[in-house]
Amino acid sequence: MSQVNEMQAQLRKVAAELLENDTVGYIIGWGATRFPDRTTPVFIHEAKDADKLMWNEYCVNGLAKYVLDDKIKAKKIGICIRGCDSRAINRLIIDNQIKRENVYLIGLPCEGKADKIKCGKCAHKNPVIHDVLIGDLVAETPVTDRFKAVEDQEKLTSDEKHAYWKGVYDKCIRCFACRNVCPVCSCKECFADQYRVGWQGKQNNSTENWNYGLTRSYHVGDRCVECGECERVCPMDLPLMLQNRKMLKDINELFGDYECGLSEEDRAPILGDYDLSDRDEFM
Amino acid sequence: MLLDKKRLKEALAILSRDAKVLVPMEVDGVAKFTPWDGQKLPSLDMINTTLPPKDALFPQTEKMYNFTTGPNAQIAEVQGTEKQVLFGVRSCDARSIDCMDKAFLTGTFGDSFYSKKRENLTIIAVGCVKTGPFCFCDSMGLDPSSAPNADVQLADLGDAYAVTAQTERGTAVLDQWKSLLTEGEGDAPKPKCVLQVSVPEDFPKKLMGMFEHPIWDEVSKPCLGCGTCTYVCPTCYCFDINAEKHGHEGTEFRCWDSCMFSDYARMAGGHNPRPSKKERVRNRYLHKLAYFHEQHGQLLCVGCGRCVQKCPSNMDITRFIDMAGEAMNNG
Repeated sequence: MSQVNEMQAQLRKVAAELLENDTVGYIIGWGATRFPDRTTPVFIHEAKDADKLMWNEYCVNGLAKYVLDDKIKAKKIGICIRGCDSRAINRLIIDNQIKRENVYLIGLPCEGKADKIKCGKCAHKNPVIHDVLIGDLVAETPVTDRFKAVEDQEKLTSDEKHAYWKGVYDKCIRCFACRNVCPVCSCKECFADQYRVGWQGKQNNSTENWNYGLTRSYHVGDRCVECGECERVCPMDLPLMLQNRKMLKDINELFGDYECGLSEEDRAPILGDYDLSDRDEFM
Repeated sequence: MLLDKKRLKEALAILSRDAKVLVPMEVDGVAKFTPWDGQKLPSLDMINTTLPPKDALFPQTEKMYNFTTGPNAQIAEVQGTEKQVLFGVRSCDARSIDCMDKAFLTGTFGDSFYSKKRENLTIIAVGCVKTGPFCFCDSMGLDPSSAPNADVQLADLGDAYAVTAQTERGTAVLDQWKSLLTEGEGDAPKPKCVLQVSVPEDFPKKLMGMFEHPIWDEVSKPCLGCGTCTYVCPTCYCFDINAEKHGHEGTEFRCWDSCMFSDYARMAGGHNPRPSKKERVRNRYLHKLAYFHEQHGQLLCVGCGRCVQKCPSNMDITRFIDMAGEAMNNG
C-alpha cells in the first residue's frame, strides 16, 4: 500500500473513532465525485460513512471556510487540514470567527496536490496546528521564489502594469468565487454587496471589477494565508495571488517579514493595528 | 449542400458584410464567442467555450435608458439593432437560446431589449463530432449532432461541412453562400455523451414535491454561494436593474444576477426568504429541473456541463439528478 493509501486508511479509522466516541459532531473532509481526478468537500456525520473520506492528490479544495457555516455548534466540528488549511484555521481563530475549542483538527501532512499553481509556492506542507496527526511529518522545502513574479511585475513601467491589470479585470465576471472561498473573507456583509451604499457598482466593466478586486486584496492584506484558493477557483484563471503577494511583499518590506496564521497567538493584522515605531514618512 | 472547410473564411467574410459575426475563439486565455477578426479560423474543434453565447442576446451589463433629471427630464431608450450571427454554436447552446426565448418572449410580457436583439440574430449551429467529459446533453433530451432551432445546421464531414437551412433566415444564408456551396451530402459522426443521467418524464413533477426533502441539506453543503455556475450557464437569465447617475444625467442598466448570491432574494427592510445556501441551491436546481418545465414544458438545463466543470467545490448537477431520482424511487 502506498503511503497516501495508508494515510487514507488511517484517516478513515481515526474519523470513525472520533464520530463513534462523540468527540466531534461531524467531520469535514474530501470525498469522491463522478470524476477520478476530482474530489468534493464532504460532511461525514456517522462512523459508518467514514469510508467516504478520501486522501489523494486530488484533495485540492480548501476546507477551512466551511466551519463558518455552522453558527450554532452543538459539538466540535472535525476538519481535515493540510498546512494551508491549518493557517486558515489559525487566522479564523485570531479573527474571533471560531473558537479553538469548537474545532477538532485532523492534520494531514501534504506533499502538494494536483494543482501545481496552488501548491507551487507552499512553505508549510505540515499542518502548523492539529489535534491528531495522520501519517508522518514531511520535509519542508524552503520557497525561494515567493515574490519572484511580483519582482518581475515591479520591473514594468506604470503604463505596462496598468495595461496588464486592465486586461486582467476586463476578463473578471464578478462571480465572487475568490471572495467566497477565501478563509479570510469573513465579513457578514461584504462591501461589494452593499450596492445601495454605493461603494461598488453592479455593472460589469473593468473599472468596477478592478475596484472590487483591489479593494478585496487590500482588505485581505497581511491576513492572506497564501492558500491560493482564490486563484484556484477563478473560472477566468486570473492571477489573483500575484496581486495578493504584491501586498504581502510591500507589507514585509514596510513592517518586517511576516507569514500569517502560523500560530494561534499571531499578532493583530498590520492594517488593523498600529505601533508607535511604525514607519510614517507619508504623514 | 457542402461547404469546403478551405472556404470557411470566405463564408465568414460574406456573413461579416452586413452583420457582426461571433465565433468561438480563445481570447487572452478565455474561450468565448467573440467578434470574428477576419483573419483567424474559429476554434471549432473545442468542445465548449468557457463562457456561453448568451451575452450576444443578454449582455452581462446592458444599458436600457439614458435619462436626465430636473424640470426638462428626459428618458431615451437605448436599443441595439445591430445584426448578429452566432457561428459555430453547439446543440446545447442553441437549445439555451430556445430556453431564453421562452423566458423573455412568451407569456404576458415580451422583453423589448431581448426581442430586438433576437430578431437580428442568425444562429449557425455545428454538430459535435466528439463529446467532452462533462457533456450530458443527450440525457437532457438533446442530440449533440443536431440543433433543431438553429437557422443553419452544419455537420462536420472531415474536409467539408454539410449545410442545411432550417429556417427562412437559414435559406437566406445559403443564398449568400451560393458561390461557395457544392452539391453533395454525407454522414457526420453521431457521438453520444459519456456522462449519462436518467431524467424520467415525471422527474420535474416529482421533484416539485420534494421541496422539504432532506436532500437539499446534503447537496447544498459544499456550495460557496458564488455565481460561477450561473455565469457560465447558457440558460441562466436572471438580471438586476440599477442606475448610474452623475449630476443631472444618468443611465439605467441591467446586469446578470445570480440566485446563489445572498442579496438576490433580499427584500426591502432586510428580510431574506432564502437565508442560507440550502434555499439558494434548492431554488437553482428546482428552477432548472422543475419550475421552468412547469411553465414552458422543457428543462432549463441543456447538459452543456459548464457548471460541472467550473464549480469551485466540484458540485455536480448530474449527481444531484441521480440522487434525487434515487430518493424518488425510494418513496
